Amino acid sequence: MTLEVKELTGGYGQVSVLKKETFTVESGQVVGLIGLNGAGKSTTIKHIIGLLTPRGGRILIDGISLHDDVEKYRKKIAYVPEMPILYPELTLKEHIDLTIMAYDLDHDKTWENANQLLKTFRLDNKLDWFPQNFSKGMKQKVMIVCAFMTDASLFIIDEPFTGLDPLAVNDLLNIVEAKKKAGCSVLMSTHVLATVQNHADKFVLINHGQVRADGTLDQLKAKFDMQPDANLDDIYIKMSNEDL
Amino acid sequence: MSELWNERLRRHQLNQFKYLRLIFNDNFVLAFIVLIGALGFWYSNLLGTIHQTLTFGKPIVILLLFLAVQVGGIATLLEEPDSTFLLVKEKDFYKYFKSAKNYSSFLPIVTLALVNFLLSAFASRGAGLKIIDIVVIAAGLIVYKLAFLDVNLMEIYGRAHFGKIGMRLASNILLVVALIVSTYLFSWTMLIVAIIYYFFLNARVRTLETSGQLQWKLAIETEDQRMFRIKRFYNLFTDVPGVNSKIKRRKWLDGLLTPIKPVSSNTYLYLFARGFIRNNEYIGLFLRLTVIQAIMLAMIDNFYISLIVEMLFIYLVGFQLKPYFKEVMQNLMQRLYPISGKTKIADFTKLSTTILSIQWIVSALAIIYKFGMSLNSLIIIVAGLAVLIFVNYFYMPRQLKKYLD
Repeated sequence: MTLEVKELTGGYGQVSVLKKETFTVESGQVVGLIGLNGAGKSTTIKHIIGLLTPRGGRILIDGISLHDDVEKYRKKIAYVPEMPILYPELTLKEHIDLTIMAYDLDHDKTWENANQLLKTFRLDNKLDWFPQNFSKGMKQKVMIVCAFMTDASLFIIDEPFTGLDPLAVNDLLNIVEAKKKAGCSVLMSTHVLATVQNHADKFVLINHGQVRADGTLDQLKAKFDMQPDANLDDIYIKMSNEDL
Repeated sequence: MSELWNERLRRHQLNQFKYLRLIFNDNFVLAFIVLIGALGFWYSNLLGTIHQTLTFGKPIVILLLFLAVQVGGIATLLEEPDSTFLLVKEKDFYKYFKSAKNYSSFLPIVTLALVNFLLSAFASRGAGLKIIDIVVIAAGLIVYKLAFLDVNLMEIYGRAHFGKIGMRLASNILLVVALIVSTYLFSWTMLIVAIIYYFFLNARVRTLETSGQLQWKLAIETEDQRMFRIKRFYNLFTDVPGVNSKIKRRKWLDGLLTPIKPVSSNTYLYLFARGFIRNNEYIGLFLRLTVIQAIMLAMIDNFYISLIVEMLFIYLVGFQLKPYFKEVMQNLMQRLYPISGKTKIADFTKLSTTILSIQWIVSALAIIYKFGMSLNSLIIIVAGLAVLIFVNYFYMPRQLKKYLD
């Protein structure tokens, strides 16, 4: 799986939030999307999953765009939104069944995955509950289960760590690691830099809707002229100070 | 504070006008006039059959007047953030509520005057009351309602009780007693009791300004519920954003869902069907309208009115299902599914066809009960079927398309 974002320009309505963004996510790569509030991370993600239409540039997954083949494109992606989005009328079990139907997945095999994930996140005894009434963290876990039980090859997760308990953060990182080993790619936007620094292969730094820099931690240090012992926090602050 | 009230009121009224304009569209006005006409016709026919005072005449008058007093409460127009942002201004809220009470007295006064006016014909013929009695009782009820608004005001200050007895209950008991005495013995009783009660409560309310402690949570909840009731009413006729409804599991209805096989092409039917039977809003609306329609059809003897009722109610239920589709379409996750908009609409049509067919069968039974196996029955039933087909296969698909993106 390869995700290519080429010269992406777009945003909401008439305002262009993103200006010619270009980056790639390769097979088996975990990529961290990093930037200040309002820098354009979520907007970038919304373009990739196809909720917004680019005004310019192209987004390709394995060489096809949303425009080429909507169904094929969508089946490759699993998405965990920043704020959990659930159906108020469906139980947890039905959320899983619905996702299986929507993506036309193998029922038994997917349920096997789902059961494992549900157990990990301690949701296996809540199958007949309405997730709409769960706490923020538990809702987030439901979204994670529904995304990671699928056979998507690109996982896009927006601020996955907020609201999760430390145990769940750890579990999520393990799941991401397993998906990576299976050859899938993960694009995650986050502000929890210490965590992402240890678990991502590559970082895309976004500022004012543009890719300021991308690469591994070492490459970024070189680009920003930083000491060898600098961490992602230092780079982030240096980037933010460039505006001043 | 009075500025805040005026600003809120202006915004509230603007909103109300917006909805009223949407409700009173051409179709509705036409149906409304027909219904009013039918009711008026029925009422004057009924009056024609009354030649002497009826034994249950007075109890009916008492019951209707009692119900009329319950219409309308205090509209505080409080909003959720008030309990955070305006907490420091709590003392000043007394003045705000005074304005609110003045505004809130308008609707009940009009209602009471109108009900009394319409009821006067029956009250004089069937219950043997003189016109002067009716006017005096009406005046009494209006004063009593104003006192009742004070009770509402005290409720949000958590002071609406005499010892252990709730003021609302006590007021209602007093009202019934006063009404009975007024209609059977001496009509001025209602007015006299109302005036005394009004001044008594007024004195109590005044103490709230200095020593009252506003029950923010209760006050905001009460206002939210009041708004919800209004919006739910509007929602019967038009789309109202922000009407979130209660959802119940209703496990015992799961049996109805088993025919929907869990295959990819049924994804949305699976979702819509569950939502429909669990969301009080939609199942409630369907049951309410279907039952009202069946009762009306089983009682009304007039071919044209029955024809209109049959067609109008099927149209109304179909029309009311639209917002549910919209609600689901607003869920971002479902927009990512690899399923086309056409399938979404087709699945929704399957659900609405099932629902309207049930309604159509129930109404057909009511029609046959009233008109028997006749040409009239057949015409009405076929007209209902025509509306069903029109709504499901011509009207809805076009309307639903707008909501896809």
